[in-house]
Amino acid sequence: MDLQALLKERFGYSHFRPGQEEVIKHVLNKRDCIAILPTGMGKSLCYQLPGYIMPGSVLIISPLVSLMEDQVMQMRKNGEKRVVALNSFLSFTERSRILASLGNYKFIFVSPEMLSHKSFGLHLKKIEIGLIVIDEAHCISQWGFDFRPDYLRIGEFLSSYNSPILALTATADSKVINDITRYLKMNEPIIQRHSLDRPNISYSIIQLNSTLEKTDWIKERILQTTGPGIIYTSSRKRADELAFELQEAGVAIQSYHAGKEQDDRAIIQEQFLNNELEWISATNAFGMGVHKSDIRQVIHEHLPSTIAAYLQEVGRAGRDGRPAAATLLYIPVDERMTSFIIQSDRPDESQLRHYANMLSEGRDPSESAELAGMTDTGKRIVDYYLERHTLDEVLEVMDTLSAEKETELRKMLHLVRSEQCVREMVLSYFGEQCNEKPEACCSICGLEVLEWLTDKSLKKKTNELVSWDERITNLLG
Amino acid sequence: MDLSSILLFIINKMNGERTLNAGLHLLRGKKSGQTLQDVEYFDLKPLFGIWPKLDEVLYQQTADELINKALITSDEKFCRLTEKGGVEVQHFQLPRFKGWDYRGREKVFFGRIALAVQTISYFRTGSTSFNPIQRDREIQLFVKRLLEGKPLTDPKFGKRISEELKRALVTSGISDRQKYIFANRLTGRGETAKTYDQLASELDSSPSAVYLLFIESLHMLLPVVENPENYPFLNKCAFDIKVHSYLTDSALRTKKLFDQGYSMKDISKTRNLKMSTIEDHIIEMATNDERFPVTHFVSKDTIQAVLSKSEEMGTKRLKLLKNEFQMLSYFELRLILTVNREGDS
Repeated sequence: MDLQALLKERFGYSHFRPGQEEVIKHVLNKRDCIAILPTGMGKSLCYQLPGYIMPGSVLIISPLVSLMEDQVMQMRKNGEKRVVALNSFLSFTERSRILASLGNYKFIFVSPEMLSHKSFGLHLKKIEIGLIVIDEAHCISQWGFDFRPDYLRIGEFLSSYNSPILALTATADSKVINDITRYLKMNEPIIQRHSLDRPNISYSIIQLNSTLEKTDWIKERILQTTGPGIIYTSSRKRADELAFELQEAGVAIQSYHAGKEQDDRAIIQEQFLNNELEWISATNAFGMGVHKSDIRQVIHEHLPSTIAAYLQEVGRAGRDGRPAAATLLYIPVDERMTSFIIQSDRPDESQLRHYANMLSEGRDPSESAELAGMTDTGKRIVDYYLERHTLDEVLEVMDTLSAEKETELRKMLHLVRSEQCVREMVLSYFGEQCNEKPEACCSICGLEVLEWLTDKSLKKKTNELVSWDERITNLLG
Repeated sequence: MDLSSILLFIINKMNGERTLNAGLHLLRGKKSGQTLQDVEYFDLKPLFGIWPKLDEVLYQQTADELINKALITSDEKFCRLTEKGGVEVQHFQLPRFKGWDYRGREKVFFGRIALAVQTISYFRTGSTSFNPIQRDREIQLFVKRLLEGKPLTDPKFGKRISEELKRALVTSGISDRQKYIFANRLTGRGETAKTYDQLASELDSSPSAVYLLFIESLHMLLPVVENPENYPFLNKCAFDIKVHSYLTDSALRTKKLFDQGYSMKDISKTRNLKMSTIEDHIIEMATNDERFPVTHFVSKDTIQAVLSKSEEMGTKRLKLLKNEFQMLSYFELRLILTVNREGDS
């Protein structure tokens, strides 16, 4: 099979992007494969193209419904109609209709929780599955806001299929790769890695002495340099605070976090995409599924809890290939702050026992968790492990998880403090060597004044204020 | 109207017999026995659940301001208006919420309108690809079905929706400020909606006031569009928004067993729930059903005796009433107070 010809015919490209062809070949050879490709490097092609060659359907397990819908929409737009998304939001009749004709679809996207639906399993058994894809596979080993116990159950589900498994992820260190292999029960997977280096991003790490200094630094920076940009903070309160300060200074900025009304969150994201906002100050709730290629700056005003999380957030900058700047502001107390946040999701022994007791009395799980003082994330984790282990074992698991988290934080701290080239450090963390450093590498290697950065030519879009009925006329006619 | 005037209004209604937190639970629409009962006792149905995500800190700040202005006093147990607060509360126009009927579902109504408007706005200008401003899958699927087969690219279609929407907004009797907020919560091609913060600074108001005005405008719009002939599009958007059953799911299950003749004890056993939970459910049922057979639990004479005592003492506090009626349980007393409203009306 001439892959090049197929690429041209189906997708209209003359060349593969780095890494794609290798992954496709492994898949066609029916080998399990973990593909680590930076976001925006055409991960979906790695399963779409084999799908046209292999018999049967491709099953794609995707963690975020919005992301899934997005991919389905993209594929339909490109002319592939045999694609469907199955998730728990579908109505019963709609789902039944799709399930009854499942074999007609070449590409079947499902959310992890669908896998535990019995009817889905039964229907899937009836059709031929050529390839199973796990998107955003790093979610499997993450213990954080996007922890998805459903993802951990995928392995149990997959063990009854012989189809090759392709795990896709943008960032994966050796621990994550081990977790992916283990939890997905993969069979000696080939690790296909494309360099995670993003030469167009320059890194700066700046040590300051107080939160006040951070605020001043950010204010000055934002007034003098270009957006669009994201400021990542450790708390909702801080995100709000910064947005407020900067609004006062005339910056088009809004804060974004899970404490905002849902509609407001969607509005803020849309304004940012349309350049009505130049900056967003946000918790880590902001970013997944945000397709904006011209983000010029990412500023961390807190210490991310892992290098992987840091890199993922930084990676949202400069997707268009043009230069972008990543800055991390650091004060000594940040370490304690981040450590505290990590541990706050972790239920302690008395909370856990209290919770388990209430459950055994038949009380409502959410209410019990609240009474025991557990966070939502904490509850999700505990629920998953309680299903499989005794209480004492769960306590042990909690200890292990929390020790792992501390280790990850140590590594992040080391990155910040070591005074070694940031790019080299980040890459070595992912088992890569840095072969070639760009001119604007990092603050340790030395950064000249970045001229593009002070170019404030970005035009802010401002809409005139119109009356209510005029606005409705503008919208609908 | 803003959060502090709403709070003053609630505290006035609660008559010094509840803690400050009772107001928070009420605004958030907490479905606990106590809150559901308060709603009934103190005639606060319109404000139930108008702000499900109300931030505790914001609530506390608002209350602190009222305390600082000497409009209310609050100790660990109770919260009441001062004389000054009593005068102040007379100046407020009664808010026109219908929280009991909509319980946060009004946002689904608006979400459907917003997504439909966005869709039409893009299609009529020749563009079929956009980021849906509503992430909720249920809303997306609803709008997809709503607009299926409609002439989205036909300018006449958009115009018709536009006119219907304007007519409904005018008819609803909402203020111009509310119309402005409503229109600016809509997104379309080249016109992104504004956040509550942004609207607050444009209108020289507070985000919470903007939020409350917006919710109130939806509560005023919803009854208007109940007529499908005058408002074919908006009527469809309002499908299934008003609550059918005023009972919580759990209470509904208890009701089924109760209607089949199970005793409270049996229900508690069958459902593996504590007796106090079943009691809460019974209270909830009595609150929501005028024909609830209260006399199965307490005699007419007892009811009369308790109600007149309550009136005589000028209180609905269970503890005080319990002192007077030692032989009655708290449950029985609560049940009796629930019937009170029939005495009122």
